[in-house]
Amino acid sequence: MLGIIIGIAAVIALLAIGQGAKIETDKQIQSLGTNVIFIRSGAANTGNVSLGVGTTNTLTLEDANAIGRICPAVENVVPGLQGPLQVQYGSLNTNTIVCGVTSEYPLVRNFHTARGRFFNGLDEQRSARICTLGQTVVETLFGDDDPIGKDVLIRGELFRVVGVMEHKGASMFVDQDDQVFIPLTTAINRLFGFRPSRGRSVGFIMCQAHSDDDVLPAVFQITNLLRLRHHIRPPFLDDFAVRTQAELMQTAETITTVFTILLGSTAAISLLVGGIGIMNIMLVSVTERTREIGVRKAIGARHRDILMQFVIEATVLSFTGGIIGVILGVVVSYVVAGILRWHTVVTPISVILSFGVSILIGMFFGIYPARQAARLNPIDALRTE
Amino acid sequence: MIELKNIKRTYKMGTEEVQALKGVSLTVEDGEYVAIMGSSGSGKSTLMNIIGCLDRPSSGQYSIDNQPVQALSEDELAGIRNRKIGFVFQQFNLLPRMSALENVCLPLFYANVPPEESAERAGTALAQVGLSDRLHHRPNQLSGGQQQRVSIARALVNRPHLILADEPTGALDSRTSAEIMTLLEDLHSQGKTIIVVTHEPEVASCAKRLIKLKDGELVFDASTNAAQF
Repeated sequence: MLGIIIGIAAVIALLAIGQGAKIETDKQIQSLGTNVIFIRSGAANTGNVSLGVGTTNTLTLEDANAIGRICPAVENVVPGLQGPLQVQYGSLNTNTIVCGVTSEYPLVRNFHTARGRFFNGLDEQRSARICTLGQTVVETLFGDDDPIGKDVLIRGELFRVVGVMEHKGASMFVDQDDQVFIPLTTAINRLFGFRPSRGRSVGFIMCQAHSDDDVLPAVFQITNLLRLRHHIRPPFLDDFAVRTQAELMQTAETITTVFTILLGSTAAISLLVGGIGIMNIMLVSVTERTREIGVRKAIGARHRDILMQFVIEATVLSFTGGIIGVILGVVVSYVVAGILRWHTVVTPISVILSFGVSILIGMFFGIYPARQAARLNPIDALRTE
Repeated sequence: MIELKNIKRTYKMGTEEVQALKGVSLTVEDGEYVAIMGSSGSGKSTLMNIIGCLDRPSSGQYSIDNQPVQALSEDELAGIRNRKIGFVFQQFNLLPRMSALENVCLPLFYANVPPEESAERAGTALAQVGLSDRLHHRPNQLSGGQQQRVSIARALVNRPHLILADEPTGALDSRTSAEIMTLLEDLHSQGKTIIVVTHEPEVASCAKRLIKLKDGELVFDASTNAAQF
């Protein structure tokens, strides 16, 4: 019975964790903003040789401007350029991601400043050396001090801190609070260098469609526009990649589903082991009660009566174990949620499923001992001590 | 009425064949009180098992109330045991985790009698053996004599014609033995057929007919008036 209890508890807890992971991921993807389309540099074609995705920045600031001007389904465009850099304040420093983006970034990502301000169009025109810090960066460099109005050093240049971003948390394995935002123009002109070959290149372009229904038209318009601008004709492949939020969600869903199946099947094996435990208990019980079976047969129990008795006993055993297991599983889910600060969701389906399976297992593994019992010869059974 | 014609029963012990019964013929009319005696190994337990439909003869014919038994399936035999035969064992064979009342109800459970009716009938049967104040006691809370009376109540509850008692006093002292024998005598006077297997002459002397077995053969069969113990 302990086997069944642990098996059921494991199934419920692990499925709850898996379900929690799924919801968490969905939430994180939602937190990317609504109706967002991501364009990344793709494989550049040099002659007939395809380089890997993201090896070169094939997107330019002009591409971004063209999308904003020409594609009717697109509402906002935020080109960006980012890289890992060291940021210094006084004697402290931290390695963080410096993102050059445009002033619409908070709007598109739904990621706003907690204090101070984000930079505006004027700052961009002036390539102003100002920055907005994420929470993690503030904690590392300033501790409890107020960073606004202070100057930090990024690659030898002084940047005035004008704002602090709100807490966003980790998303897709990246800590979104460990970032520093600066105007894109400043990033291109002062930090990441200016490559005149293909204009002012950017790392990514984020677009926001007007509405949910506009996402697919926007993807179509963007793809065609960029092919024209990059002179891509068949048989050459796109040197950029367009991803929508829905696609990201789908990918994440696939990952979490695999995760859940993995956890669930591990738990299912322990449930099976529990079932074998029930069979052992029942076999011992049949041996111990041989005499009782003999008596029952002598006073008129038929084959079926004995069979039913032991199958029902096994079922009751797994039923009781199932109830305790469900309670234990729910408790474990909450404890895990408390310790790992991870949302766990106990779904009614996982409870019903594992409970039902445990009863079936009890019945299934009860049948073999029950048949042993029913087949006993009453004379031999009566003679045993 | 039970009728045995040339009943033989052989067991296989490894490669050897042992003949426990070597052709026993016997008729017991309704309402008879029969004692079967014999030393151990004489075949009396085997005969008892065959009469009780717990075992089948290797050859020969056995019929209860003119119904031949060898043609019946296991489950049909279980039905016969349930309706026509009441067993009283030397070791009582009560189920330890059940109360006296529940133990007595058990044959009725297998006869598909509704629970309320079976509780009532079990109560009546226990009253008949003088245990109406012990209904909810478990076997380990009862004395040996009381346990044996519970098992007699269990044998009676489904109103069988035949009571088979296998050494019913074997585990009891002489005073309680006498009580049990009085009970059996009462049942006999109510018209039940009673067959007792025993090796105690005092027990056998209560019966009206004595049968002796030796080495698997019937060697003596007479009314107890003429019997030598």
